[in-house]
Amino acid sequence: MHGEDYITDLPESIIETILTKLPLRDVVRTSVLSSKWRYKWATLTELEFNDTCVSHIHHSALAAAKLVKFVNQFLLLHDGPINRFTIDSAYLQRSPYLDQWLLFLSRKDVQELNIGFCGGDWFRAPSCLFSCKKLTALELVRCVLHPPLYFKGFPNLKHLSLKQVHITRDAVENLISSCTLLESLTLLYFDSRKLTIRAPNLTCLVLEGEFEDICLENTPMLAVISVAMYINDDIAQHYDQSSSCNFYQFLGGVPSIQRLTGHGFFTKYISIGNTLGEIQPTYRQLKVIDLYQVSFDNLKEIMVILRLLLSAPNLQALQIGGSADASLATDAVDLDFWDKECPRDATFEQLKSVKMTQMLGLPHEMRLIEFLLGNSPVLELMDVSQNVHDETDENDDESEMYMEILRFETASAEVVIAFTENYE
Amino acid sequence: MSEPDVIKPEMMKSYIWLQTADGSIQQVEQEVAIFCPFICHEIHAGMGSSKTYPISLPARVNPVTLSLILDYCRFHQVPGRSNKERKSFDEKFIRMDTNRLCELTSAADSLQLKPLVDLTSRALARMIEGKTPEEIRETFHIPDDLTEEEKLEPLKNITDDPRIRLLNRLYARKRKELKEKEKLKNVEVEAEHVDDRSVDELLSFINGENGDSKEVKTAKNKKKNRRRKEQQKNAPPVCANSNTSSSPSNGTKESNGVSSVSRDDRVKGHCLPNISELLKLQDSEDDRFALDDDFDDCDIGDGIDPEIKEQIDREVEDFARRLNSDWPERVQELLSLGQERRPSLYSINGNGCSTKRSNASGLEKHEK
Repeated sequence: MHGEDYITDLPESIIETILTKLPLRDVVRTSVLSSKWRYKWATLTELEFNDTCVSHIHHSALAAAKLVKFVNQFLLLHDGPINRFTIDSAYLQRSPYLDQWLLFLSRKDVQELNIGFCGGDWFRAPSCLFSCKKLTALELVRCVLHPPLYFKGFPNLKHLSLKQVHITRDAVENLISSCTLLESLTLLYFDSRKLTIRAPNLTCLVLEGEFEDICLENTPMLAVISVAMYINDDIAQHYDQSSSCNFYQFLGGVPSIQRLTGHGFFTKYISIGNTLGEIQPTYRQLKVIDLYQVSFDNLKEIMVILRLLLSAPNLQALQIGGSADASLATDAVDLDFWDKECPRDATFEQLKSVKMTQMLGLPHEMRLIEFLLGNSPVLELMDVSQNVHDETDENDDESEMYMEILRFETASAEVVIAFTENYE
Repeated sequence: MSEPDVIKPEMMKSYIWLQTADGSIQQVEQEVAIFCPFICHEIHAGMGSSKTYPISLPARVNPVTLSLILDYCRFHQVPGRSNKERKSFDEKFIRMDTNRLCELTSAADSLQLKPLVDLTSRALARMIEGKTPEEIRETFHIPDDLTEEEKLEPLKNITDDPRIRLLNRLYARKRKELKEKEKLKNVEVEAEHVDDRSVDELLSFINGENGDSKEVKTAKNKKKNRRRKEQQKNAPPVCANSNTSSSPSNGTKESNGVSSVSRDDRVKGHCLPNISELLKLQDSEDDRFALDDDFDDCDIGDGIDPEIKEQIDREVEDFARRLNSDWPERVQELLSLGQERRPSLYSINGNGCSTKRSNASGLEKHEK
C-alpha cells in the first residue's frame, strides 16, 4: 500500500462536491483520515442535519440531546460561510439552542434555511430568523411564526414554503407581499381559511389545506398552480352561500399559466359563483390540466372543465379524475347542456393525451369523452380507467363503457384508446 | 475533404482538434466535443478547427481520461436516449479503478463537464459512506499520518461515535502489540490471534452495523451498575418478562425499549426509575467515556500484563457482541440486573462468557 494519494489533492470544489453527497456523520469522520483531511469538512457550505447524524437511539429525549450536541459542536468548529442549513428531526422539539443557531446563521449570511421538527410541539421561530437578510429560500415545518413589527420582508427571498405553520392571515399576506422577489410559494395546512396573494414575481404556487376563499390578486407571472382543497362542514356551508365568482377570483389574473393541478374540492370551489358578465380569459400558455376528484354529477363542475378546455387553445395534456362515488349516479342528468353549451366547432389543436381516471360510466363522463375524442385532431392517447364495484357484473364481457367509447367518432386517426377496469 | 464524388454522411461531420498536456493531438467529432463547455468556448473563440491550432486542454486532462470523457459525451449528446438508458450507461461507465475515477473527476471538472463531475463524485462518495477510516485510507491510498492523540482531539465529542474511538484505541493497541510480538515470539501467538480476530471481527461487525452506540453505552453503564447490583437485587423479576415486543433495533418508530417497558403497569413503580437513571447516566457520562474508560488501559506502555490483556480481550469480545445484539434485549438486561439467573457479562475469571444471546456471533468460537 505505498501508492500515492488519489483523492486528497483533488481541487477543493471537487472535495466539497463529494462531501455534500455524504451524510454529515460520514463527513465529520473524514477528519481522521489524514492530516490534510483534518479540516476539509469544516468548510462545507451546505449542511444538512438530521437524525442519522447521531447513532440510532430510540429514546427521543436522548436522541434530541445528542443531535443538539452534534450541531453545537459542528457549528463551533465550522469555518467559513454557510449557504444552506437544513435541520430535520423527528426527535428535536423546542430547543433553546435553535435561537442561538439562527443567530449564528444570520451572521454567516445563510441563504437557504430549512427547519423541520416533525415530532411534538410547534416551535416558535425566534426573531433572529427575520434578520437573515440574505435568505433566498426558507422552508419551515410546524412552527409558530410571528414576524416582528419592524420586519419589512426578506429582500432576496425567492422560495417560501410553510407547512403546518401557525401564522395569522395578515402576517402571511404581508410576508408574501413584502418579499418582492418571491417566485415560489408553498403553503400547506395553513391556519386561516382565507388568503389573498399579492406576489408580482410569483411563478409557482402550491396550496393545500382547508380553504374557504383564495384570491390571487396580483400574480401576473404565475405559471404553475397546484391546489388541494379540503373542506369541513363550515366551509361547505360557506360555499353554498357564496356569491363571489371564484373562477375569476382565482384564475382571473393568471394569463401566463402553464400548468394547473387541482385536488379535492378545487374544481367545486372554482365552480361556485355566477360568471355572467365576466370576460372570458384565454390561457394561451396553458399546456397541462390535471383535475382530480371531480364530481361528474355536478353540472357546474362540468361547466368549469369545459370553460377551461375552451379557454386553453394550446392544451397538450389533460387528466381528469372522477370522484368515484357511485351513489351519486342516480340523480337526473341534464344532457341538453352538451348540445347547448358545447360549440360544435371547438377544436383542441394541440391536445395529445387525455387520461380519465376513477370513471364510473356516468352520462356526463361519457359525453366529455365523446366531446374530446370528436374534437381533438392530433390526439394520440385516450386512457380511460373505470372503477367497477361489483365483480359479478363485468367478469367476462367487455365493459359496456368501453364498448360505448369505441363507438364514438374520433377526430384523430392515430388515437389509441386504452381502457382498464379497477376492481374494488 | 478529398472525396467529393461519394459524399457519405460521415464526411459531412466536422472535426475538432484537441491537444492534451503531453503534446499529443487527436481529432474528435465536433458534435461530441462541444458537449464539454470548455471545448465549446474554445471553439467559439476560433480554436480547434485545424491541426495547427488545436484546442489546448487543461493540464489535468491526459489522453486516457480524455478518451473516457469523449466516450461519455458521445453517448450522452445523442438526444433520443431514455433516462433509463442513460442511467444504465452511467452505472457501467463508472466502473473503473479508484485512481482512474479520481483522475476522471479532476479532468471533467477542468473541462467544466458538470454532469460527469456529479456522476463521478457520487461514485466516490459511495466509496466513503459508511466505511471506516482505515478502509477509506486503503481505498484511496491516503497516508495515515495523524497521531493517536490527534485522532482523538478535539473532535471526539463531535464525531460522538464510540466506534471510531474504540477502533482507534484498538489499532493503537494492535500496533503496540505487534511491536511486542517482535520481541516475544511464541507465547503470545495464541492470544495474538484472538486479539487479531477480535479487531477484525469488530471491523466487520462495525461495518455491517448501523451504529448502535447505545449498546456501547449500555455496556459501559453495566460496568458501573455492577457495583449497584447488590442494591437492585430486589428488583421484581417481572421486569425481565415484560418486554416481549421484540422490535428490531433499527426498526422501532415511536416506541422504544424504554417506553414499551413503561406501558407495563406491573413494572411502572420499580423499573422505570432505574431506566431513567441509567439513561441520565448515559448522557452525562458521554464526555467521560472518552477520558477515563477502562479501555484506556490498552494505551499503557509496552509492559502489558498478560492477565490484563486477557481481560481486555474479553471486554473487546463483549463489546462486539453488544454491537450485534438488539436494543429490547438490552433493556431486558438492564431491568434484570438484580436477577441471579442472568450471568454477569463481565466475568473476569477466565471461564469465558456464556451468553443466551447468541445471534450469529462469530466470536463465540473464541470463547474458551
